[in-house]
Amino acid sequence: MRYLFLSLLMVLSLPLGSLAGYREEFEREFLSKPWAGEQVEEDACISCHVAEKMDPKFKNIPQSWKMSIHYQHNISCHHCHGGDPKDAEMSMSRARGFVGTPKYAEVPEFCGKCHVGILKNYLESGHGKALKSTGKGPNCVTCHGSHKDEQYIKKANIDIINERLCSKCHSYERAKIMKQALFLTEKKMGTLEESFKRLKAEGVYIEEEEKALFNIQAEFRTIFHTVDVSLVKERTDEFAKKLEPIEIKVKNTFHELWFRRNFSAFLMLLFAGMGLVVFVLSKPPRE
Amino acid sequence: MGVGKKIRDWFEVRIGLDDFARVQFNEFRVPRNSNVFHTLGLVTVVAYLIQVITGILLLVYYTPHPDFAFKSVQEIMNTVSFGWLFRQMHVVGSSLMVIVVFLHMVSVFFMGGYKKPREMTWVMGGLMFLITLLFCLSGYLLPWTQLSYWATTVVTSFPTAFPLVGDFVSRVLRGGEYVTGITLGRFFALHVSILPPLFLFLMALHIFFVKRTGLSTPPFGLSSEQQSPWTEYRRETHPDGHPFYPYFVKKEIFMGMLYLTVMFFFVTFFPTLFLPEETNTPADPFRTPSQIRPEWYFLAPYQMLKLIPNKFIGITLQIILVAVFLLWPFLDTKKEPNILKRPILKTVFFLSLILLAVLTFWGHYR
Repeated sequence: MRYLFLSLLMVLSLPLGSLAGYREEFEREFLSKPWAGEQVEEDACISCHVAEKMDPKFKNIPQSWKMSIHYQHNISCHHCHGGDPKDAEMSMSRARGFVGTPKYAEVPEFCGKCHVGILKNYLESGHGKALKSTGKGPNCVTCHGSHKDEQYIKKANIDIINERLCSKCHSYERAKIMKQALFLTEKKMGTLEESFKRLKAEGVYIEEEEKALFNIQAEFRTIFHTVDVSLVKERTDEFAKKLEPIEIKVKNTFHELWFRRNFSAFLMLLFAGMGLVVFVLSKPPRE
Repeated sequence: MGVGKKIRDWFEVRIGLDDFARVQFNEFRVPRNSNVFHTLGLVTVVAYLIQVITGILLLVYYTPHPDFAFKSVQEIMNTVSFGWLFRQMHVVGSSLMVIVVFLHMVSVFFMGGYKKPREMTWVMGGLMFLITLLFCLSGYLLPWTQLSYWATTVVTSFPTAFPLVGDFVSRVLRGGEYVTGITLGRFFALHVSILPPLFLFLMALHIFFVKRTGLSTPPFGLSSEQQSPWTEYRRETHPDGHPFYPYFVKKEIFMGMLYLTVMFFFVTFFPTLFLPEETNTPADPFRTPSQIRPEWYFLAPYQMLKLIPNKFIGITLQIILVAVFLLWPFLDTKKEPNILKRPILKTVFFLSLILLAVLTFWGHYR
């Protein structure tokens, strides 16, 4: 009887494997219970934009946003476009701060709500002045893209300055000199970002250093939005110096990891050696 | 007269130290065919002691509050001198302890060590295995990372599969509707002040039972004593066996060293195996990770639950399996202790192990 009971349990368990597709339903059911834990932020913007009846040209916006740098930093639709994502009916109400899509010439102010320093330098630049005077100069989206036409806003880096993009409006020569002036400091920042990734993978928490690098990067990038080559050349060393304490910290952290590995390897060998000695001494007593 | 001798004599006069050592170490004998698996009990004690010592060191710097828990753990890892070592030992040690206790139970089962008169020893061991898993579950939430927060959310949702009492049980576990600071407080209290004395109590009882009945003789190879029906209390003394000291003690020290070697092997070569990158992300109740997966030792029951369409049946089945596992000595009343001579039991035993491994890997690589 006992064996019959156990055998039935085993036999019943195996064919249930055929229901492997059950995973998603399982997780959804547990997580979507009213108090199962997931405190989901109700988002009317996303639920409408992914709906069947949505105009196809707006349907990919949530997907593009999910791939963007904004998503990575928890910046949601309403942070830029206003409105109330928790109330579907009033989500696009002007009374709730909805601003919708900005006109071409309004894009810098739209992005500049958050990127304050960059807006200031951009407006003083040739790019900004051209947009203001003719309404046709490049705005933020020209170089950084948006969530339109299946693009997404990537993390900004020096490669945005390239012949293909700049040559759309003017020759690449001046931009090339600018890129060269930025190159060393940008490279240092890139190296630090790579190091952070490696340290994180090794279990080191480097939030403070990440924040410091983020601030230096943001400040540095405001300068080159002036498109003033001489100013960038003048100040690039200043930023390289600001990176030095972070570089030293990163170097020391790698050294610390090296020490940790060696120290635990030493302990491993120590206990292995002691075990070996005891093993040799622990032969059974003679008859 | 040396200080050591004076201290020894002081104790000898008061508690009869020599007599105690003679009875417990020299006269206490182990079966002639005892093997390395007989030492796993002591390895479990070593594993538990390491968890206690490293746990106390972590406790000095840890703060059980959602605003500070993650930060305090990061401080331990990055600022406190050798904090990383104690945390790594504690984390790796928790998984190794599960393995050691599991191996101990499997070997006892295989050698028929649960049979009369050792039923209670088995039950105590089984309860200790379950408490070890509870230690792991409660300790996993404490660093308050994304991984630990969401794994706990899923695990504490399991009781909801039960009608009527399910929601209540889940609320009691969480201390409310969601996993919050209250849950952290409850799991912390469970981890550091409820489970440790409970485990110690069971361990003391377990050792008491082992000492009173003597070590069981493996049913393979040599047999030191004629097995007669167990109608009254007697201890298996193994008169032709090896003395516990020094022979068996050396064997146990060797296994203790092996345990520490394996632990530092993982700390050295796989420092992120049990602490992946996600453990560096603080818990965020508003952002569900793309994959929620419990720790490896819960993968088999988790995968099993996923495969069974009805969660009530799934959880009930698991409870029945645990009950069968705990009460097995009372269900298996056949006298034959050698599993190799019992083809059905042998098949069930190996199939169960294979099923456990398959479910674990399946859960991992789904």
